[in-house]
Amino acid sequence: MKKEEEGKKTKRKTGNGVNLLLHLVQHIAFVMAVILGTAVLLRSYVTIESGKGSQMYNLREEEPGTIFTDSVLFNKLLANHITDVIRYGAVRGQMETDGVFDSGKVIDTAAFADRYRTLRTEYITARYYLDDLINWSKKGFEFEDIYLSGEEADQFLSRVSQVTTINTKSENYDGENIYYLNSKPEQLTKVRDVSGNQFESGEYVREGENATILKNRYLTVDKKNIEDHVSNWDEYYELCQNIKKAADDLASNYDEYLKYQEVYLPERSNLVYFIRKTIGSDVQVYTNMDVKSKELKTLKKELLDVCSKTVYYDPSGMEFETDTMIEESTLGYVLNGFGYAYPENTQVMFGIRKDLSMAEDSFYETADQFNRYTPYLGKYLTGAICCAALYFLLLALLTVREGVAGRKESGEVIIRLHREDRMPTEMMVAAAGIAGYGMFRLVFYMVNGPWRSMPEAAMIAFAGGLALAVSLLFAFFYFSLVRRWKAGNLWKDSLTRRAGRSIMRGIRYAYRHWDLVLRVWVPFGLFTLFHLILLVVGAATSGTRRILPVLILLVVDGGIGILLYHSAQARQKILECIRKINEGDISQKVKEDGMYGDNLVMARAVNSIGDSVKNAVETSMKDERLKADLITNVSHDIKTPLTSIINYVDLIKRQNVQDPKVSEYINILDVKSQRLKQLTDDLVEASKISSGNIVLQWEKINLVELLNQTIGEFSEKFHEKALHPVVNAPGGNICIQADSRRIWRVMENLFNNIFKYALPGTRVYIDLELADQKESHEKWVLLSVKNISANPLKVNPEELTERFIRGDESRTTEGSGLGLSIAKNLVEIQKGTFEIVMDGDLFKVNLSFPLLDNIETLSARNH
Amino acid sequence: MTNILVCDDDREIVEAIEIYLNQEGYQVYKAYDGEQAIQVLKDQNIHLLVIDIMMPKLDGIHATLKIREYSSIPIIFLSAKSEDTDKILGLNIGADDYVTKPFNPLELVARVKSNLRRYTQLGNLNVENNELFTVGGLCINDETKEVTVDGEAVKLTPIEYNILLLLVKNQGKVFSIDQIYENIWNEEAIGADNTVAVHIRHIREKIEINPKEPRYLKVVWGVGYKIEKQ
Repeated sequence: MKKEEEGKKTKRKTGNGVNLLLHLVQHIAFVMAVILGTAVLLRSYVTIESGKGSQMYNLREEEPGTIFTDSVLFNKLLANHITDVIRYGAVRGQMETDGVFDSGKVIDTAAFADRYRTLRTEYITARYYLDDLINWSKKGFEFEDIYLSGEEADQFLSRVSQVTTINTKSENYDGENIYYLNSKPEQLTKVRDVSGNQFESGEYVREGENATILKNRYLTVDKKNIEDHVSNWDEYYELCQNIKKAADDLASNYDEYLKYQEVYLPERSNLVYFIRKTIGSDVQVYTNMDVKSKELKTLKKELLDVCSKTVYYDPSGMEFETDTMIEESTLGYVLNGFGYAYPENTQVMFGIRKDLSMAEDSFYETADQFNRYTPYLGKYLTGAICCAALYFLLLALLTVREGVAGRKESGEVIIRLHREDRMPTEMMVAAAGIAGYGMFRLVFYMVNGPWRSMPEAAMIAFAGGLALAVSLLFAFFYFSLVRRWKAGNLWKDSLTRRAGRSIMRGIRYAYRHWDLVLRVWVPFGLFTLFHLILLVVGAATSGTRRILPVLILLVVDGGIGILLYHSAQARQKILECIRKINEGDISQKVKEDGMYGDNLVMARAVNSIGDSVKNAVETSMKDERLKADLITNVSHDIKTPLTSIINYVDLIKRQNVQDPKVSEYINILDVKSQRLKQLTDDLVEASKISSGNIVLQWEKINLVELLNQTIGEFSEKFHEKALHPVVNAPGGNICIQADSRRIWRVMENLFNNIFKYALPGTRVYIDLELADQKESHEKWVLLSVKNISANPLKVNPEELTERFIRGDESRTTEGSGLGLSIAKNLVEIQKGTFEIVMDGDLFKVNLSFPLLDNIETLSARNH
Repeated sequence: MTNILVCDDDREIVEAIEIYLNQEGYQVYKAYDGEQAIQVLKDQNIHLLVIDIMMPKLDGIHATLKIREYSSIPIIFLSAKSEDTDKILGLNIGADDYVTKPFNPLELVARVKSNLRRYTQLGNLNVENNELFTVGGLCINDETKEVTVDGEAVKLTPIEYNILLLLVKNQGKVFSIDQIYENIWNEEAIGADNTVAVHIRHIREKIEINPKEPRYLKVVWGVGYKIEKQ
């Protein structure tokens, strides 16, 4: 039976071990999946910076084994750069004169603002210097809303509008589609004043106007204000808008210009570019190549020498050559996008240096990232997917295994629930919700905030840690749910069910104990109703009559209060009585007078219980006393005949019997009758001690003195058997609280025992020492007496000390065999401990008593 | 001739006691209940009474109470009741000694002798002497260095004598082993020594009828030794 149980236990244990291992593997799988996934996510995206802003690019879209310069990524990067260079070229046209930045360049603001459209043949404009416009935009345009009266408007606006007309007869004009190509419209245009109303001079009063005025921070090239160019408000507003737009565009283009200037320096960029546009007779070249008026063919050859990937485009010659993925249409589209800056005959060349390490630009960095991560991403991803698959596999497996502790003999599965599974289901779900939401918030916060600024390794470590937490939390809640579901306590342990049950119980209780419900709720209801009525009456009445309901309330409430107090007082009395009875004062009674109702019933019940307890206790005490008395009386009756036996045996002995056989018989009679005498005495004593029928005289006992006295008493006896006492005791007195004669009885019994059973000629060790009690830290006195037994020890210590109680069958040849039992009981009623230890032939008795120092209170209580 | 009345409801016990006392040369009268005992006491000149407590008709306690109304002869209780309370009660109502059943016949005889001696010789010892110390039947003459118990001389060694004298001089006072040692040997006690205890036992064996239940030299276990004040 026992073995079977053990077998079950071990089986369950190994089952637990396997489950634990599976759980562990599951968590590891999840964490690995997240770490690998994070690594893939982090490493597979390359950010490509361009004029259009940054762009994310996914490395995973690349065919495995692609060389960087053949990759889509490279081509996208190249396309971005080409677009940027073309844009840079356009911006240079706005900023430079003959390839150098020209702050004093004159800008026709209206033409510039309209640069994406076909230039109008007639328009109103204002011309500013480039740096003025850029500064204006940077410092800000200030508008002011003011009211201008007719006269003031007359004062403010010009009488004539200054109209710019395209001079179609100019040598630079080539057809209808004149674009803002060369930023030099003044070469084509003519300015003239046009009067809109024929009132250039003389009286003309406009209507008053709420106008929004642009403050003139800078003057035009002609040292004029804006309003000096226009003769009506519509023209004014349009011009203001154009100026602002031109200035803002120029300012942002200027920033770009500065940036590109840096980026495309020959030593900083792996991109080699060449742009040549021809407007009329004017040829402009933008490049970071060493040009020195070389032929285009030569340059192309040079480009092919230095670069691994090139694009060559000459729309006028219908030539497009490239070994990249860039298409002609794309390039044409980009160039057309800046149509105002590039005429149709613009020739472009781009190339990427063979050796990217020449400059640490975005090509170099991207290539580096590409070469470093692309080969591993696939493996990472596969790993992540495998881990995730393993995780779900284990989840399924564990879902099946979870909670199964074994099988009953009937085949029924035993489900073992954990402590948390006893929690109400709703609380569990709520806790899961809170934990989940907290996790979500944490992840959300970290991903949007601190996570981004971490180094990659920290990001991955953090993701792993977070994954572990998520996995653990999920497992905790999920498996709890699984166990609940399996054990069927999903519903059983839910709050809803508990609440429902307690409500049902309440209703059932009320139904069964309707009298109690009536007694409590009806008076309470009446009481409340009474107050409510008086409240309403009080509110309804007015003046001094209002006092009446208040007075009634006070009187009635006072009366109820007194009643309640009275009842509580009675209950208090009963409670106190119960407490006293509980503490052992069984003679307590509750006075029943003045009590009524439940209290009276309770008081009577308590009194009757008290009586019963008292009777029971008295009966049991009487029984105990009777038992002890019986033994005492029986022993008295034995003693009288025993006296005669002893006396007559003695008399026979004195008769000088000659027959040695008779003499031997008489000796046996003598010894046995003496033993019977000892037995009767011990029996009486043992019965008295074990029935607690003795009174102790507490005294201060010096154990050292007692030991010396005892050894003195036994010196002759010990000498007779050549027993040698060896005493180990600390110097000075060691005092305990005991009854002098009873403690002597203990020592006497112990030493008699030694005298009777110790091997003659051996030493008897008596050790006395002080020790700390472990729990209370009180000082205890330990007394141990050791001797070597003459005969092998075949009994248990329990048999020796509980002989009287157990009535053991084994009997020794000498003495009553009650000596140690009496000694033990005597030690214990003197608040000591008694222990017998047997080890081979070594017989050892350990006694311990509290040291007198810490039992001052005890003595005070007992005296 | 000394007359002793033995009273017990158990005839065999009475007869056994008679044999022992006859051997010592005492005249023994017998009674089997309290009433008979009182009757015999009236009729004869009895010098000592040995009486059982539990007897039919009139028990030993009540008989003793009646006897004490007119007689002061030594009375020895002989009882199966061995409790302290019984002994104290017996001694308090006028008995001189208390022997529990079953008794050692020799002890009973010794006690009879002792009580008789004290009873007959009590007057002779009333000599005024500064060097004479008495406790009940125990008498120490420091001049002659003689110790007698109930008139019978006891031989003690010098150390035993000194210990006994110390205790007798300070009747009622309890001396610890160390104190006795320091007083007798005039040396500081080093402790944990049972020499004194052995001497005390020897003294008890010499002056007490039953050394285990001493009348004079009492052991206060765990405290020391004393001579009871009488």
